[in-house]
Amino acid sequence: MSTGSGATASLSFRDAAPMEWDRTEGWRYFTDPGEVYEADGAWYLTSREAVQFAHRHPELFSSARAFDSLGSPVPLVPIASDPPEHVRYRRTLDPMLAPRVINRMEDELRQQVNELIDGFVERGSCEVIGDLAKPFPTQVILTLFGLPLEDRDRFFSWNQKILEITGGKAGEPTPDQMDAALAMFEYMQGFIDRKRLVPGDDMLSSVLALKGDDAWSNEEVLGLCFLVALAGLDTVTASIGFALMHLSKRPDLRQRMVDDPSSRSGLIEEVLRLEVPAALTPRVTTKDVVVGGETIPAGSYVFLVLGAVNRGPEWGESANEINLEDADRGHLTFGGGIHRCMGSHLARRELRIVIDEFHQRIPEYSLPEGFEPRLVWPAGTFHLSELPIVFPPGDRT
Amino acid sequence: MRIFLDAGKCTGHGRCYNVAPDLLEDDERGYGRVIGDGDVSDEHGFDARRALESCPERAISIIE
Repeated sequence: MSTGSGATASLSFRDAAPMEWDRTEGWRYFTDPGEVYEADGAWYLTSREAVQFAHRHPELFSSARAFDSLGSPVPLVPIASDPPEHVRYRRTLDPMLAPRVINRMEDELRQQVNELIDGFVERGSCEVIGDLAKPFPTQVILTLFGLPLEDRDRFFSWNQKILEITGGKAGEPTPDQMDAALAMFEYMQGFIDRKRLVPGDDMLSSVLALKGDDAWSNEEVLGLCFLVALAGLDTVTASIGFALMHLSKRPDLRQRMVDDPSSRSGLIEEVLRLEVPAALTPRVTTKDVVVGGETIPAGSYVFLVLGAVNRGPEWGESANEINLEDADRGHLTFGGGIHRCMGSHLARRELRIVIDEFHQRIPEYSLPEGFEPRLVWPAGTFHLSELPIVFPPGDRT
Repeated sequence: MRIFLDAGKCTGHGRCYNVAPDLLEDDERGYGRVIGDGDVSDEHGFDARRALESCPERAISIIE
């Protein structure tokens, strides 16, 4: 993956954004040119009004062709679809990812986080991304789909390779990326075939069990598997990293998490608002569309700049910092409209479980002297490459 | 005070029933719905305003 050290002159408008060290400056870069504008062949919508207009008009801002660059061998279900297919997909999938369904997974997921913490708690140090933020969401997806947890590391590595395609760069996938996509494809197809014959108590089996007019084709089921793997994993990895990054830098907030569990949900919302993993979501216009006084031609590639919307005027003077007292003002980190992230309830629960269990086991921690966390940029998903922390050693459970 | 949820705007973010669990609840799809007839007692006035502000789709309204 690119580390952003290349010559700036060759970067696109998007990739040249100053994101590595400071997202305040990074999002200002996107809002400075205006609410609706074109740069380097793509259009950018940066205000809540413009973005929500696009969210509410999927017939004008299509998703069907917007995710081609992800390099999936099958159309991603349901993100890369429009109504009426999209309605059919979400009617089936939303109840499978509703909070009351996730409640049933919670005890198991808490135990998994504690086992991961056991792996480093005696050491007095860890690298948050590799030791916790990568393995946990991967295990959650495997658990959700009824796949063996032993497959965690190879599942994650396929995922990472495939996602390198989405680094905001044009061009054909590399042979490595094609190999990873094929490996994941074969892996998923194997389980689809097995679970058709012997269903388990998992989401994949539930989708395969649909009958008659509701039944999904094999390609649709594979498209769902790819979407959940590509969208549901490294985004949560990124958010766990960002949450522990902000807490490591702010001892007052960290202590508040320990002393007052009711403050944790506000902290999670603020980290989601300020550090958006999928911060520029794509659409393709189906007609000439006038937004914010500008005419976007039919067939244009459009970015909805969610990271900029989340620092808009609703947040007043604290737009660029964590404010637990006045946190929840409707950020758009999970998108909006019919394509609202279908895994949002699961993602929030994963974050809550990590914050709860981590502070229970490791209440005091900080960044190593002189370490400044740095975003990987340019990249498709906004994320940290590493986050080392140090803490007084604790005991295994 | 009374709270309303516009089902035509709700897309299931689930913020309202998390910040105001005495006033709104989740349905089987994870979408929000008003509990009872939406009457808001004085003690829940703050929660009602939090629900209104937290909705990314601006689907909640309040009549004082």
